[in-house]
Amino acid sequence: MSLSILVLGAPFESQACYTSYRYAKAALEMNTAVDRVFFYQSSVHTASTLACTPRDEFDLYAAWQQLKQTYNLDLVVCIAAAARRGVIDNSEQKRHNKIAHNMSSCFELSGLGQLVEAIATSEKLITFGE
Amino acid sequence: MSQIKKKLLIVQTKAPFGSSDIQEALDIVLAAGTFDQDVSLLIEDDACYQLLSAQQPEIINRKNTTKMLNALPIYGIDKILVCAESASLRNLPSNNNDAFKFITKNEIKTVYSESDTVIRF
Repeated sequence: MSLSILVLGAPFESQACYTSYRYAKAALEMNTAVDRVFFYQSSVHTASTLACTPRDEFDLYAAWQQLKQTYNLDLVVCIAAAARRGVIDNSEQKRHNKIAHNMSSCFELSGLGQLVEAIATSEKLITFGE
Repeated sequence: MSQIKKKLLIVQTKAPFGSSDIQEALDIVLAAGTFDQDVSLLIEDDACYQLLSAQQPEIINRKNTTKMLNALPIYGIDKILVCAESASLRNLPSNNNDAFKFITKNEIKTVYSESDTVIRF
């Protein structure tokens, strides 16, 4: 059994990023292969290093990064969706001539082809919507 | 890209210009088409308002996604399916034409069950 995960909803407004995190963690703990997690639409904000979670709340941003480090997960952020929403890495900063970049190095920017490939190669795609 | 082909179904359910959903769903359809996947697009609920002709989203500075819909056959996607019931509930035309194929709720069930992957927006 191998699966890929598509996340669509924003990290705070919606439950998508949290539920998908719990799902991915549970799958990995059960030794189920998670081929790729693809962040699309507002979920791209999960890759921001500038989000400041209040100290008495769960830090979902740090949790995803921890999951990446523990399991060497493939976390891919849609480059077009992210650029539109102000989530950019160093090279996108240069390309768009912006004053700063904010993307965590735990995530990789790439195109929708990576989602299409994940759909084609994983046995299942699990989507977490709004 | 892998040689494995799966039947991918993208479903649009939201009104065209009130959110990014229509545009971002369409981008997945185009990407899947570009990578030669077996992809279908199904239009349901308020997404049927895309069928209205002569829309002018440029006035509100939105991209004309209806034009993108019409370009889908160029990407090898000739199956734009529309829920006939959703269209008629909204007094929209529901005659089959070159671009759109109107299908019943029962036919939609079959489309869903025959797809390997479904993503709804």
